[in-house]
Amino acid sequence: MRSRNGNCPFVYAIFSLAAALSLLADDYLIGYRLTTRNAQIIDESLTVSKAMLPCPRDQKTPLLLRRENNETIERLLKREQTLFLEYASVQPIRLKSNETLNGTDIKSLQTLTLPTQCYAVEFNDRLVTITLLQHNNEK
Amino acid sequence: MRFSASLALLLSLSALHAEVAMTTEAPASTVRCVYSGTDGHCVEPVLKSGRELVITVLGQGVAPSVTASPAQAYALAKRSAIADGYRQIAERVRGVQVEGQDSVKNMMLVQSSTRTSVEATVRGANILNTTFKEGLCEVEMEIALSYTQFSR
Repeated sequence: MRSRNGNCPFVYAIFSLAAALSLLADDYLIGYRLTTRNAQIIDESLTVSKAMLPCPRDQKTPLLLRRENNETIERLLKREQTLFLEYASVQPIRLKSNETLNGTDIKSLQTLTLPTQCYAVEFNDRLVTITLLQHNNEK
Repeated sequence: MRFSASLALLLSLSALHAEVAMTTEAPASTVRCVYSGTDGHCVEPVLKSGRELVITVLGQGVAPSVTASPAQAYALAKRSAIADGYRQIAERVRGVQVEGQDSVKNMMLVQSSTRTSVEATVRGANILNTTFKEGLCEVEMEIALSYTQFSR
């Protein structure tokens, strides 16, 4: 039976389901750091930690990733690191660069850091939804 | 007669110059500046009220000599190139701190060193194009700056 509002009940149901699922998701703190020397990567680290306190629910657009064989969030992010970094780079990125010219010898060292932010991570059977929850600089 | 002819020529030349100046002025509200760190041909535009300034840079990164696969080499070189692009954007927007040191002994230059550094937070940069050739990855990035961002 169709309601007087057309398909609106379905839309409300989908939105309420998404809201309920987002409230059930776990919060993770994820940070990233990349160090390059003379245009070559010398160090790269992606740190993942489960949040001890729930984060404010100021949600951004989610990122959907395919999950294989019940893998953990660490393994999933390692496999899909490029996709995740593209998603996470909407937030402010810190950059520190030093270049030294000594005679004809040039050395450059750059550190690019994605500040640790809170993400809501919701595991399904074959899909993981990752949602950026807050921007520290906007608070 | 000769004086009036030269005066007319002068006036026509000035009018022509004014027309050229009017046509070369950018009518759009976006000012583009192409900068690659090596060509240095960019004329520094000024961010004006109601206008948007788009800065385009070309970041370069090199794949490590030892990688597990060509795909990994590409991914690592691209990340390095993105970091270089962010550095160039930071240098353009924030400026570079330069320190120089010269050592002179017995009236002769013994050692000369220059150190440049930049530290900034960048948000809103976009990747336009990526090319990978012979181990070198080039990433074209741009950032749009608006007057309101700086007038807050």
